[in-house]
Amino acid sequence: MDERPSILELVGVTKQFGGLTAVDHIDLKVREGEFFTIVGPSGSGKTTLLRMLAGMETPTTGDILLRDRVVNELPANRRPTCMVFQSLALFPHKSVGENIEFPLKMRGVARDKRKARALELLDLLRLPQSYYARNVTQCSGGERQRVALARAFAFDPEILFFDEPLSAIDYKLRKTLEKELKDIHKESGKTFMYITHSLEEAMVMSDRIGVMRAGRLVQVGTPEEIYTQPRDRFVSEFMGEVNVIEVRKGANGHAVGVELPGDFVLPGGAVPFETAHLVVRPESLRFLAGEGEAENHLRGTVYNEYALGSRIQYQVRVGEKVFIVERLRQQAYQGGLDQEVLIGWDAKDSVLVTD
Amino acid sequence: MAATAGASRNKRLIWLWTGIMVVFLYLPVACGLLASLNQGRYFTFPIRRWSTRWWERTLDSIEISILIQTSITIALIVTAISVVLAFCGALAFARYNWRGRTLFQRLVLLPIFFPQTVLGLALLLWFNMLGLPLSWQTAVFAHLVWIVPIVTLVISIQVYSFDPALEEAALDLGASRWQVMTEVTLPVLWPGIFSGALFAFLLSWGNFPLSLYTTGADSTVPEYLYAKMVAGYTPGVPTLGTISTAGAALVLLGGYAIVVLARRARSGR
Repeated sequence: MDERPSILELVGVTKQFGGLTAVDHIDLKVREGEFFTIVGPSGSGKTTLLRMLAGMETPTTGDILLRDRVVNELPANRRPTCMVFQSLALFPHKSVGENIEFPLKMRGVARDKRKARALELLDLLRLPQSYYARNVTQCSGGERQRVALARAFAFDPEILFFDEPLSAIDYKLRKTLEKELKDIHKESGKTFMYITHSLEEAMVMSDRIGVMRAGRLVQVGTPEEIYTQPRDRFVSEFMGEVNVIEVRKGANGHAVGVELPGDFVLPGGAVPFETAHLVVRPESLRFLAGEGEAENHLRGTVYNEYALGSRIQYQVRVGEKVFIVERLRQQAYQGGLDQEVLIGWDAKDSVLVTD
Repeated sequence: MAATAGASRNKRLIWLWTGIMVVFLYLPVACGLLASLNQGRYFTFPIRRWSTRWWERTLDSIEISILIQTSITIALIVTAISVVLAFCGALAFARYNWRGRTLFQRLVLLPIFFPQTVLGLALLLWFNMLGLPLSWQTAVFAHLVWIVPIVTLVISIQVYSFDPALEEAALDLGASRWQVMTEVTLPVLWPGIFSGALFAFLLSWGNFPLSLYTTGADSTVPEYLYAKMVAGYTPGVPTLGTISTAGAALVLLGGYAIVVLARRARSGR
């Protein structure tokens, strides 16, 4: 386990707006140098949480500790943290250089020192030094992103917060910037705290992920843990397309389908339950030649197929339910559409969630 | 080919229409200038004898220079006060979400739609009731009632396009409240504030109905023009009218020049 000291600690942090609880008793420790991402759908309270950490809101109850010091009431301009906003919030009336130097100017750093630092940061973020005098309005989306990062780095904050800064950027550039951000995190060694509604984005970049729902942290873990051991149905479905089978307790440790006929072998270590959901990822399902090829199986018809590039996705109808099966192109299903097929999975590739 | 012929005919029609509109709008102004260059006391057309004597007389007149001074003083004070009030009002109007904001927005805008003559009369009654002697100072107040809402609206438009995250970002990057104001809010809203100031000045400079009721013994340029039209017309009237229009045009052109120069200075860095 990672034993680095925690730089940021949240103890029962709660934020209420009128009668509405936006953030509900959150306990969390973020480690020094970690890339921690909070994921959640819109309205889950993740932005409010981040704003409290940055000092733009104060918690209604609970404590925020920065290096063991309570900072609940400390305003944003006196915290050693910096936020990169969704809109980036670059100052449109200032040049790239003036934007980057802004935090230094506010701290009374001399002009020539500021400029030296700005040029250094342009290098770090792989922007040409000629951009120093350019207007920010003349920069492209990716360049603006880098300017915002350079500005955030300028005063050497201890933690950088990111409020979905990539959400407005087109897919291809976003993919590039995700990796770039991870590289920059590694090079700088700073603590990054990122929020997004895209789990895919979180998976690519994060050391750890916290999944938020209705103001609460539902699960915290490494991307691997979140992906393979979702704590509940919400987390499992948030991780992308999954197949969910409603089950109840059956004989000899098996489960019996509620909407589907069948007796399913459960993964090891499943908690006791009366009713639960069995989650099977599309890539864990495969086409079987015979019932003996997998521990669990279902009979259905192939309804449609979609090419996803390196993979192919199939819709298989089993009774009223539609199952999604994803195979690598090399392992593509060879039969035609509307044919009866046998699909199946091994118990270890499924997850049982109880709510 | 037929299509291009049609397109060029359309273009000619658009030009013709634009030309007619421009003439329609600016001919009266030109007429004022022509009337002021007439040597005789009464306006006849075509002008028989041209002269600049009414211009000389007008420019030499102490009365006129006092009028202009009064108008400028009122306009400058109205501009200064209304920009400050409207700037704060616009932030409340367009930025912050608070209880009663919708009501505030409606109430602020209402005076714009009052008939100015009625507003002037109402203010006159008020000043009398309060026992305030009427002078150019009461006119300043009257102008403010009507002009502050308009300037608020003008600045609000700029505030609406202002990303509130800019101020938060500045604060987050270590700026004090005051620095946020001087480094971010004012510079970003500056075009709106500037055009608001121009509006304030020009609306006050040209205002007649409110001044008529509230200046008391003092007189502004528009009031004088009206009074002389009613009784005692000379070509001095269109002369002063032309000066007034030219002054307004100069203010506008000067404002435009400042904007262009500021923009050039910024991009020339």
